[in-house]
Order: sequence, then C-alpha cells, then structure tokens
Amino acid sequence: MSVGTVTTRARVGQYAALLAYVAFLGFPLLWLVATAFKSTQEIALGASGFLPEAPTLQNFGDAIRRADLVEAGWNSLRVAVASTILTTALAMPAAYGLARFKTFLRPVTLGWVLVSQVFPTILIIVPLFLILKQFDLVNNLVGLTIVYVVFTLPFALWMLIGFVANIPRELEEAAAVDGAGRLRILVSIVFPLLRPGVVATALFAFIAAWNEFLFALVLIQDPAKVTLPLTLSRFVGAEGQVQLGALAAASLLATIPSLIFFGLIQGRLTSGLLSGAVKG
Amino acid sequence: MRLTHRRSQHRGRPAAVVATGAVAALVLAGCATAGSDDDADSEGGGDGPVSLRYQSLAFQEPTIQASQEIVDAWNADNPDVQVEYVQGSWDSVQDQLVTQFQGGTAPDVIQYESAAMTQFAEQGYLADLSGSLSEEVTSAVPEGVLDAVTVDDQVIAAPTLLQSYVVFANRGLLEEAGVEVPEGETWSWDEFQAAAAATTGGDTFGVGWGLAEPTATMLSLGMNFDATYFEGTGEDVTIDVGEEELALPERIHAMAYDDRSLDPVSITQSGSDVMTGFLKGKYAMTVQGSYQAQALTESAPADLDWVAMPLLEADSAAQAANPQTLSVAAESPHVEEAAAFIDYFMQADNLAKVAEGDWLIPASSDAAEVVSTDTEGANGWSTILAGGQYLTKAPFQSATNYPQWKDQIATPAFQRYLADEIDADQLATELTEGWESVSGG
Repeated sequence: MSVGTVTTRARVGQYAALLAYVAFLGFPLLWLVATAFKSTQEIALGASGFLPEAPTLQNFGDAIRRADLVEAGWNSLRVAVASTILTTALAMPAAYGLARFKTFLRPVTLGWVLVSQVFPTILIIVPLFLILKQFDLVNNLVGLTIVYVVFTLPFALWMLIGFVANIPRELEEAAAVDGAGRLRILVSIVFPLLRPGVVATALFAFIAAWNEFLFALVLIQDPAKVTLPLTLSRFVGAEGQVQLGALAAASLLATIPSLIFFGLIQGRLTSGLLSGAVKG
Repeated sequence: MRLTHRRSQHRGRPAAVVATGAVAALVLAGCATAGSDDDADSEGGGDGPVSLRYQSLAFQEPTIQASQEIVDAWNADNPDVQVEYVQGSWDSVQDQLVTQFQGGTAPDVIQYESAAMTQFAEQGYLADLSGSLSEEVTSAVPEGVLDAVTVDDQVIAAPTLLQSYVVFANRGLLEEAGVEVPEGETWSWDEFQAAAAATTGGDTFGVGWGLAEPTATMLSLGMNFDATYFEGTGEDVTIDVGEEELALPERIHAMAYDDRSLDPVSITQSGSDVMTGFLKGKYAMTVQGSYQAQALTESAPADLDWVAMPLLEADSAAQAANPQTLSVAAESPHVEEAAAFIDYFMQADNLAKVAEGDWLIPASSDAAEVVSTDTEGANGWSTILAGGQYLTKAPFQSATNYPQWKDQIATPAFQRYLADEIDADQLATELTEGWESVSGG
C-alpha cells in the first residue's frame, strides 16, 4: 500500500467526516427553511417528505402580520450593536492589561470571570431586576444593553486574553526599541494583530445579545421595546401548542440580520497573521 | 515602501476608532431615546386619564383580535381609564410574573390560570375582587368554577375560559368496526374501552393518547372515578392514593398492555404529536384537550370525518376546572378601575368572542349560550360546551406543594407506571411517599 493511497483514503475520510459534521449543523436550519414553506395542514399531518409538497408563502404573511418583526428587529439590532461595541471596547484594554501585567489583579479577575459563569441566570434575575429598577433601567433598552455588556464581558475578556497572550512580546519590545511609546505600540502593533480576536469577540457578543431571551423577557414590558426573541415566543401557546409554520417563517426572517453581520465580518476572522513574525 | 504604507494605515486608525466610538454613542443614544419614552406613558397619574396595562396571553389569531377589539371598545367608552394591551406568552409568563411581582412592576390586569394564580394570591400579590365584579357576571359562573379562583374567601381572579378532555373519533373507522357514535351528553368508560378494542386491528389502534406529561390528565379525568388524591388546603394537606385514585391509571395501563387497544408509543408523546397520527388514520380515537377541535377543523384532510364524542363518565363526568383567569395586581394604584375593565371583559358577548377564538369553554353560562348560538354546535362545539357543567374545583388545586409534587414525584411515577416499569402498588407508594417528602411530612 503506497503512501499516496493512504493519503487519499485519509483525505476522503476527512471530507466524509466534515460533510457529516456540516450536515449535522446545517440540518436544523434546512428543516426550518422547509417548514417555513409548508402549509398548516401539511405540518399537522406530519412530514411525509422533507421538502414542502406545495410551497406557500402563507406562513411569512402570518408571521409579519402577527408579530411586529421590523420594530422588534430594530430594537434587537440597536441593543446587539451597542452591547457588541461596548463589550469589545471594554474587553480589549482589559485583556491587554491582564495578559501583560502580572499583578494581584490578574488571578482575582480571572477568578471573578470563572465564578460569574457558574450562577444560572434564573438565580440572579430577581436581584438584578431590583437593582435596575432603582436606577430606572427597567423597561429600557439602555438597561438591557448594560445587562448584556455585564454578562458578556467576562467570557469576552477570557477569549481576548488568549489572543493577546499569543502576540509575541518581542514585537512590542522591538517597537519600543524604535522609540514607540506605550500608546503607539498599542495602536500600531497590538490592536492590528489582535483583529481576529476582536472579530471573534464581537461575533460572540453580537450573537449572545441577538439571541438572548430571559433578561429581555423580564426587563422589557413595553410592546414597542420588545426584542426579536420575545416576539418569536408569541408563536408558542399553552399546552404545547405551537404555530410551527409561522414560527419557522419568523425565525428565518430573524436570522437574516445575524447572517449578514456574520457575512460582513467573517472575512476578517483570519488567523495566521503572526506566522513568521518572529524567528523561532 | 511597506513601512510607509503601514504608517499611512496607522494614521487612519485613530479616525476609525473615533468613528466606532461615534457609532456606539449614536446607538446608545437611540436606545436611550427609546428608554425615555417610559416617562411619558407609564403611570398616567396627575390630571390625565388613568392608564392600565393589561397583559394578555391570547395565542390564536382570532383571540388576539377579539381581545384587542374589547380593549378598543373599552377605551372608546371610557376616556378616563385607558387600557394598554400588552402581548405576553404562555411559554414564559411564570418567570415573568415571579420577577414582576417581586420587583413591583406587574401589569395592572393579568391573564393566567387559576392554579398558578392561587400560589401568587397566597403570597399576597393579587387584589381581592369580591364585590368588584358585578352580580350579572358572578351569577353566570358555576359555583365549582368560582371556587377554583377563591382563596381564603377572597375572589382572586375572574375565571374566563376552561378546557375539558374530549374523545375525538374517526367516524369512518368506528363504522367499519360496527361501533355506533353514541348520542347523549356522556359516554361510559366501559363503552369507550369496548369501542377501542373493536376498532383495533392491522395498523390501526383504537386509541392514541398523548400522555408525555400525565399528571394533570390523571388528576383531572381521575375525578370521573371519584379520585381526590388530596385532603386539606394550603400547607396542611394529606394524600391518599387508593382504589379510586388508581382506577384511571389502571384502565389506561390495561388498554395499552392487556388488550393493546391503546398505542403504548403514543403514551410517550405530546397531544399534538398524537393528533398527527389521528389525522393520518392511525388511531380511531384520541383523547385531547377540547381546544384541539380547532386543529381538526383547520387541518383535517377532506376525507376524514371526525366527531367529538360525548364526555367520558364513570361514577361521574366531573373533571378539574383550572380556568384561565384575569386578576388585578394588589400593588396596582387603580384596582377599582382594573376590576371594572375585567367586569367589562366578562360580559357575555365579549367572553364569547374570545372563547370562539381559542375553542375553549367560556366560564360564564351566558357567554356559553352566545357561543352555542354563534357556532350552532358544529365542529364539536356542542360537546365542548356541554363539558362546562361538569368542571369543578379539584382538591389538588388547594395544595400549596402540588406543583413541586407534580414535577418531581408524580410525573416520573406515572410515566414509569405507564411504561410498564412499576406496578400499581409501587405507583401508589411512590406518589404517597413523594408527597410526604415534598410537604415535609
């Protein structure tokens, strides 16, 4: 058996595994698309086939008529963009400081990050609600944005610390030797190299805010301020009743902005910028 | 060359940073603008009209429309008391209300169900509506239903809509098996089981019954056999699982494993899942919540001739009344006005519109008459409406620890019994000892 045959087989195996993985990940989305185009009767009768027998746009009409997707989408977009920018802006300098300076704050902060991930949201929602109410931040998109920043920041910080730690310290030392100050090093050397990490962090923060349900449910009461996940929940009723067609159509429409956002910035999610930057 | 290029890039970067900051500021300003709207519309105090928030859980489109029409009509007739319609969701209302009650921001008028509202009432979160609802409204509600919203002699909600368990049947499959569709208001369990056995054969089961969450069904339909399970109220409640309590589980078990007239797979599914099998002709009959008549009307194939059978009866046809409700938050500054709105909502024509949208039984007999006239009893409505008179408060609705027992003890115990993993004696033991553990006995 030649090396070439083994390599080919391994490659085929790799692609087969990759295909299976992609199918596993993509199937729910394909199912959502197929269901969105099925009639109520076809859904009720159970899927005899995966594809709709008589595709219809009825569900989209129902979804748009019943739920104010545009207003809810606009609210979601504002909250998600604001919390993404704030989370990233706060996490970048903090991650740099924690990665580069070994003070007592480092273990304390990292410990806080871990502990903050331990508590289930449902345990803290009531005290959080009471605190926000004192500051008049209930039923308010600013309050919701602040909550998202607070709860996304620990993990974003954790992610970025790893990226900063991977930037060779020698690059900064070389810039310092050339006379660059701390700010100049950050702006000209560190932040550009940190771009893939920043993009990954921003994606994480955006998707977390875009999909979040429980905080929005509890904090937002005004119909004009509800976010998309709250609007989508209207298609679920008591006793396990679900308006599946309209829910699938509305969910499909709701995924479009996040797909666009991902499409816009995923090109920047490149790695290997540092390859060969420093001689090993 | 490369250095020069990089430098020019770097000169542009501060501008990018400033631009990003500006975007963030603008987005936050946008959020803040939305936030400041609060101040204008929250209280409705001062000299302006009273402003009430009504959180509705209406789910079906006709019900949402009917609810909004009721609000619009009220607002037109009452310029001094304006109601804002807020759409809630059944799926998340429990978490939402727990937080809102504790935070003091609950809506003025709250839609939910009596079993859950009883718990909130015991914690003092609901206003007493005794005396606030008109005689016309309260006298039209059966006493057993009114009992379900009475806590410590206080009426903590107005009961609006109820559901009962109904047997839907495929008339074609019944006739093929020589089973006649019974006339009359009730149908005995023995006849039901005989019909199930007669229609079982080939790929068809006599009955498909979604019992993935069996506790509510067992305790409600168990009342057919005089099953009470509990005695007492509040924290001071004892359990007794005897012959009457085991009668229904044993019948279902026998149908699934002795004569195999009930598909054992359906026992593990939800009611909606089983409905799919019924629509495809896999089951001759299915036991469902009465609201499923809507799904049948909208989704049944043209060649499926379905019928709602008379209510099941053993010692009685009683079932538990767990009505949907409208309550007023005790902290509301406008309890009187909120109660007046609920009284308006409960008027026969209004309640009938909402009931027709949800395919549920109106709690008021006056509204039931309107529904009966509007629908002419078609599409199962005559059976659905007939069920209203048999609905009454069940002892479990007065037991504070029932929700915990239901989730942690009863549901898994019933599931294991219906999966043929334990016998009836073990079921009784688990239910009894489980109650003693959750109630601290």
